[in-house]
Formats: sequence, C-alpha cells, structure tokens
Amino acid sequence: MEWLDTFWSTYNTLIYTLGVHALLALSIWLTLSCGLLSMANAAFMGIGAYVAALLTLHFETPFPLVLAAAALVPAIVALIIAIPVLRLSGVYLAMATLAFGEVVRIVILNLDITGGPEGLNGIPQSTQGWHIALILAATIYGLFRMKRSRVGRALEAIREDEVAARLMGIDVDRHKLFVFTLGAVIAGIAGGLNAHFTFFISPREYGFENAVDILTMAVLGGTGTLIGPMLGSSILTLLPELLRFLNDYRGAVNGLILILVVLFLPKGLWDPQRFKGWFRPQTREGGVQ
Amino acid sequence: MLEQQLINALTLGCVYALFALGFTLVFGVLEVINLSHGAVFMAGSYAALSVVEKLNTPLWLAILIAMLICGLFGLLVDVLILKPLRARNAPHLIPMIATIGVGIFLTNVAQGLFGAEIRRFPEEVLPAGEFVIGEVHLRALELAIVAIAFVLMAVLFVILKRTQLGRALRAIAESPKAAYLLGINVEGLFHLTSFVAAALGGAAGVLIGLNFNAITPFMGQPILHKGIAVIILGGMGDIRGALIGGLFLGFAEVFSKGYLSSQMGDAIAFGLLFLILLVRPSGLFGRVLERKA
Amino acid sequence: MRKFPTVPLLLAALTASFSASAADLKLGVAHALSGGAAQYGTAIRNGFVLAAEEINAKGGINGNKIQLVIDDEQGKKEEAINVFKKQIFQDKVLIIFGPTLSNSMFAAGPVANAAKTPVFATSNTAYGITDIGPFVFRNSVMEADVLPITVATATKHYGLKKVAVIYGNDDAFTKSGYDVFKQVLADQKMPVTTTETYVKGDVDFKAQLTKIKATAPDAIVCSCLAEEAANIILQARSLGISAPFIGGNGFNSPKLFEISKQAGNGTFVGSPWANANPAPVNQAFIAAYKKKYNADPNQFAAQAYDALYIAAAALQTVKISGNVEADRQALRDALPKVTLNGATGPFKFRPAVTKTGKPGGFDADQKPFIYTVQNGKFELYKGK
Repeated sequence: MEWLDTFWSTYNTLIYTLGVHALLALSIWLTLSCGLLSMANAAFMGIGAYVAALLTLHFETPFPLVLAAAALVPAIVALIIAIPVLRLSGVYLAMATLAFGEVVRIVILNLDITGGPEGLNGIPQSTQGWHIALILAATIYGLFRMKRSRVGRALEAIREDEVAARLMGIDVDRHKLFVFTLGAVIAGIAGGLNAHFTFFISPREYGFENAVDILTMAVLGGTGTLIGPMLGSSILTLLPELLRFLNDYRGAVNGLILILVVLFLPKGLWDPQRFKGWFRPQTREGGVQ
Repeated sequence: MLEQQLINALTLGCVYALFALGFTLVFGVLEVINLSHGAVFMAGSYAALSVVEKLNTPLWLAILIAMLICGLFGLLVDVLILKPLRARNAPHLIPMIATIGVGIFLTNVAQGLFGAEIRRFPEEVLPAGEFVIGEVHLRALELAIVAIAFVLMAVLFVILKRTQLGRALRAIAESPKAAYLLGINVEGLFHLTSFVAAALGGAAGVLIGLNFNAITPFMGQPILHKGIAVIILGGMGDIRGALIGGLFLGFAEVFSKGYLSSQMGDAIAFGLLFLILLVRPSGLFGRVLERKA
Repeated sequence: MRKFPTVPLLLAALTASFSASAADLKLGVAHALSGGAAQYGTAIRNGFVLAAEEINAKGGINGNKIQLVIDDEQGKKEEAINVFKKQIFQDKVLIIFGPTLSNSMFAAGPVANAAKTPVFATSNTAYGITDIGPFVFRNSVMEADVLPITVATATKHYGLKKVAVIYGNDDAFTKSGYDVFKQVLADQKMPVTTTETYVKGDVDFKAQLTKIKATAPDAIVCSCLAEEAANIILQARSLGISAPFIGGNGFNSPKLFEISKQAGNGTFVGSPWANANPAPVNQAFIAAYKKKYNADPNQFAAQAYDALYIAAAALQTVKISGNVEADRQALRDALPKVTLNGATGPFKFRPAVTKTGKPGGFDADQKPFIYTVQNGKFELYKGK
C-alpha cells in the first residue's frame, strides 16, 4: 500500500489542519449562535498554543495536561474580559474583541518567554491524528446536544431578539458568558493541538487576518447547523492547495468567496432549508422561513 | 525634543484623521463599517502611481484621477453589494463581513498586478521643501497633510451642518425610513456618500503614499486598524470625531513611543481603544448606537 | 464532508514515477513565489534556474540532467510544510532548496531532516537553523559572522564613540539581527545611547528618531528590512540627524538606496555578495543574469546560484543508484566536503555548533564584503 503511505506522509499535516480549522470554525459558530460576533478566537487560539508549547518545552508536561491547560488558560482570560466586553453589542463587541486580539498579539510579541517575534520552535510532535479526531468528535457531539437543549434554544432566542429574551426570563448575560468562554476553550485546545504538529509557532499566526479567516469559514459554510462551519473550514483549507495555479491571485478568491456568499447565500453553503426547497418545487426557493 | 515630538504627533494624527474621515462618513450615513477602506486607500496610491508613471501626468491631476477611480470603486461596491444587502434588511454585521471580502479581494488583486515589493513615486514628482524652525524640522508635504486634514474636516462639517445636502444626510443618519418618507432621495445619497468617502480614502492614500514613499499592496492594513481605533475613539459617524480621534491616537502613539517605550506603542493604542470601548463605547463625540433588536 | 480525491491522487503518483526519465536528477526548489516574501523568493528561484540551465547546457552532472521541481511556499510555514512533504514523498527529490524565510524553515526543516532529505537554505540567517539536524545546510552567512566586521570597520572609519540602535521587534529576522548587534556592540565595548523599536508596516518613525536625535549618537545601527529602512533614513535626515547608518542584512537591497539617494550616503553594510566584486565568476554571473532576466541580480539570487553549484559539485562525486533514500544520504555525506569559488566568493561549509550538543547541520564559512553607500550606490569599502 505504498501510495497510501506516500499519501499520508504528504498530506497528514493537511488533514490535521483540517481538523484544527474545523474546531476553530465551530468555536466561532458557538458565539455567533447567540448573536455575538467575537473576533477574539484567534487570540484565544494563540494563548492556548503558547501555554501548551511553553509547558511542553520548559516543563515536559504530559500531553493530556498540556491540552487541559490550553483549554483552561484561555477560559480564564475570557472570563476576565467577558464581564465588561459582553455589555457591548454588535459592531462594538466586534471592535472590542478585535482590539483585545491585537493587544494579546502585541504582548506575546514583546515578552521574552514567548520568544518574541521569533516564536517558539522545536515543539515536539505530540499530536496524533486520533487526538484531533477524538476532540473534534467530542466537540461536535457536545455542541449538538447543547443545540437541542434548553440552552441551545435560549441562545437562539437571544440571537433573534435579545430584549424579548430578557423579558422572557432568560439570563442573557450568563448565557453569553458561557458561550464566550466555551468558544475560548475550544479555540485554545485547537491552538494547543496545532502547536504540537507544526513544530513552531509565532505571534503572526494569531492576528487579525487569522480571526478574519475563521470568520470566513463559518460564514461560508453557514451558521445554521454544525455541518456548515466544518464545511466552510474544509473548503477554505483545501482551496489554496487546489488553486495553486492562481499564484498571487489566490487570496483574491477568498475575498471573492466572502462577498459572493454574503450576497447570494446568506445562510451559507449548508442551508438545510434551501435544500428542502429544492425538493418541494411548488414552494418558492428558500423554503419556509 | 518636546517641540519636535509635538509636531510629529500632529502630523501623524492628521494622517490618521485623513484616513478616518471617509471611514467615518460611511458609518455615519450608511451605518456600515466599511473594512475595505484600507484597501481603497492603497488603491488610490497605486492609481496615482500608475497614472504618473505611465501617462506622465502632473501630481495634482494624478490625485484627482486617483480620487475619481476610488470614488467609482466605492460607488460600485455600494451599488453591487451594499444595496442588495440593504434591500434585504441584513443585520449590521453582514455588510461589514462583505466589505472584509472586498478588502481582501482588492489587496490580492493589487499584489497580483503590481507585485509585493515597495514601489515609489518618481523623484521628479515628489514635492520638496522643508521648514526648519529652531530645532524643529517639518517637511512641506507634512504641512500640506495637516492643512488638508483640517480644511477637509471644516468643509465637510460645514456641508453637514449648513447645507440642504447636509441636512438630508443627517436625516438619513437618524432614520433612513423617515428620511425616505420626507421625500429625500435616500438611495441616491447613499451612493453619493460611498463615492465621496472612497474618493477621500483614495486621496488619503496618495498623500500618505507620497509622504512615506513606500507603496505596497499591504499598506492599507495597519492604517485600517488605526482607523478603526480612531473612529471608535472619536465617535463613529462624527466628522469632528475623526479629526480629534486621529490627533488623540497620534499623540498617544508618539508620546508613548517617545517617552515610554517604542515597543509597546501599538499595544497602548489598542489597549486605550479597548478601555474606551468599555467605558464609553460611543467615543468622544458619537451618538450611542441604539440596540437594534 | 469532503471526500479526498483518492483516484486522481493515485494516478498522479503513478504518472509522477513514470514521467521523469531515469537519468534526471530531481532537485526541489521550495520558495516564496507569492505573498510578502515573494521579492526574495523569486530572485532566489531565478538564481537556481539560471544555474541549472548553465549546468545542463554543459552536459549536466555525470551526464544526468538537472530537473528542478519548483513550488511556491507563499512565505507561510504551513505551506512550506506542505510543499516539503510533496517534494519529499511525491516528487522524491534528492534535496530541497528552501524555504525563503527562517520562520518557515523552523517549521519545515524538521520534516526534511526526519525524512533524511538534505535541505539547503540560501536565505535563512536566523540562529538555530542548523540546530534542526544533520541534514540541514545553508550558505546564507549568519549575521553573527557579518556584523562584527561591519561594526568594527565603521567604528574605525568614523571614529565612533557611541551609537544608537533601532530595530523591528516583530520580525524574527530583524529581531535576531538586533540580538547579534547587541552582542557585537557589547563585545566591542561600544556604548549604546538608546535602543528604539518599531513594528512591520510602520511608516512613521519620527517619534523614535526624535528620541535618538536627542541622545546625539555618532552613528545609528539599524536591524531593519528594506521597506522600513528607506523611511528611517529619509526621516532621520529630514529631522536633521546627520549621523551615518550601520545596517544589517536587510539593507542589502539596491532599491533601498535608489529611494533614499543621498540621504543614505556613508552607510556601512556587510553582505555576502557584492555587485562590485570583480571576480570573473561573479561578473559572468551578473552578465548572464542580466541577459536572461533583464534585471540586476541581488544577493539572494547570487546565493541561490552558488548553492546549486555547490550541490552540483557534491552530486558530481555521488554515484546515483536510483534508490532515493540511499542517494539522499550519499548527497548529504558529500556536501560538507565541497568548496566553491562562486559569485559570492570563496565558500566552504562549517559544522554547526548546536545548543543542545546533538549533531547539527552545516553553516556557511565565508567572509562578508563590507561596503559603503556613496552617491546612492554601493561601493566596496577600500579602507582597512
């Protein structure tokens, strides 16, 4: 089965990256599901990645503990900034999380223990495929159950109309806090996993452009279901491989995708209602709202 | 040194303000955070550069042409992208995401067309001239930027406050629906605003491109980040806020780099932004954006 | 979820193994041909292509032609890893030249080393590159070898008593350049009046420069990339600072001084390659490059050009068995012994002294050229 070996040797990093990006897309899906546009997930990923890498490099901590720390530390940071930040809404929240992300990146850039702009290298390759698969599966399952539960419905209510939700007795603040923190946890674990199969991390990977990438994945795939963000992340991860021939114009396609999806597929690629519409010719396309 | 740093802060602040003017205009009237403004800024620089290089036009004409090209681009974006989103009553975040796409697209096209290396204006075109007063040095171009920033702000302010057009724009900013009912050509004014804002962004691009003479496809990114900080500091949608916010940021940056630590200059800027958002999201001059349910 | 294109992939793998003729020597070139580092990557690729064509025109290596497998790693570390894997496992190259940026090498180099494939960097100058392992080679001269000579020469020429330092603190290249400068200045007992920083993309340095001016240094030491360097020089002059500049590797760009013209006069820079070096090999290279690409070569193209010749010299001594693993090992063993008189001057390898003590790769053992800028052009420094 030589070609399988070759295939795996050539593409295993890509496959791992697919898994990590899926986690990231889900983390932002989570915050979007209750109407929060948080641009901080790239920063949380960075915090998770650095904490994980530093533990491994300096203390040789066993990998499961490393991942736990990668989940925990971003959560703590999220909790700290959540109280003031979550009072903001919409655009202001996006801006605040963006600013927070930049501050995190600059701080990492300037600290000595994080290696500054040179980052940290020589991180042992602790991540195995099954780690990613297991964590991804657990995340999907957890989010799926959550979506169906009362919490999920409360989030939807908050997204639709926050004022009404509050009036209905839903503890909006607590739900937002939960979602924000859990998103940070997922992003942090993704960061920890990523650090341990790419040998080397630097502040450049956790900045504004990366936050935008994650957002694009979710928007492209569609935020109505769990499948959407994962589809979006897969497409956007694989696209550069497939579009190699475009050279410099490759990035332009990303931008174009964003525009076209927003304009023509507002619910993203994976929109179950649109699919239903295909099967019911008498109903207008788009299905029942 | 203090006087020189003050001048440094003033000129840097006006650079930011020039950029922010168009940015804040779009937010004020269209209520869209146009994250492609950085790319438009960059496009203005390249447009002027191309015209000067290929057609040998004088600088003032190149600036006007660049403004025209950028303005048309802004108009195009409004007509093709923002308008359908308005018709659909899309929530605020959606147009913003679309403009992110426009920005990425434009940046990459520029990179494909012009390459990633720094380009610069030909020697003959650059305005020369320097003023030296005591220990303080100021280039003629920097003085021009300061002057233009203030003049533009004043002009826009007067238009907004004193003219029919201005009143119409302010009415739209309050409530597009009410303005429409009042007979105001809301769509037309949206298009006009997009055109003007993009043209301003392009002009800023040319001037700043000339000042630092380093044109790259990525030159719009850092200034976009700063621009966001400026309009939040100064209040989104307020013309005076763009100038005051720009100056504020310029001073904060220069003085933290000059007297504290050049390393944390940007962190301080964003940290400030973060704090202001927490304390007074509407910024110095802005109206509080009502929570749209 | 997406299915992987398994069938096309299988076909591709099969055809790849049939399409190359048995006599071709496949050498991989993985550099940044798009993105922010493209200006370096494309120059490097040009150097490789030129050298390969020259060698093939003379009959190749032991009768075998060189086939370059060129891929774009976009200046991103993930892409570098992907490209490396493709070249190692799919294309089955004997050696990979690249990647462009030190950061990318830290990520992708271990992949090549673990796969026992030689990897040859021509533009990575950071510390620790050759620590990655015994399959890592570079002919890019480390800053640690260039800067002491640059600083000492400038100090002697200008009689420097104190200097100020400015550097970009968010880029691995400029930051590690600064670390070297700091060490060199300490070793040469040169007082530093103040140290300022900026970040990539900054265009306004007046705050930092004003601060520097107030400390009245005799020279300003810059660890900067060309983009920022041009503005730093121009703005320093417009603020009335007349002190000369001492630059690191980032200053090695003729464009830099085209922009800053007279403002940059008196700058001291060290470089592994000089346009003005009169050696026949170099002049022939410059002429050939100009003829083929209608542009002047730079240091990066020159180092790439030499690198291919170095690898070719090693391959000359290797018997190609057709077994990729064995050939790669043989190439790796042959490389350290190569010496070359190339466009960058006399060259040989030097084993790396690794931080951990484990076996490392091979660094460049070369003397830099010191030159100054006069009238907006580089001139070899004539003084002693």
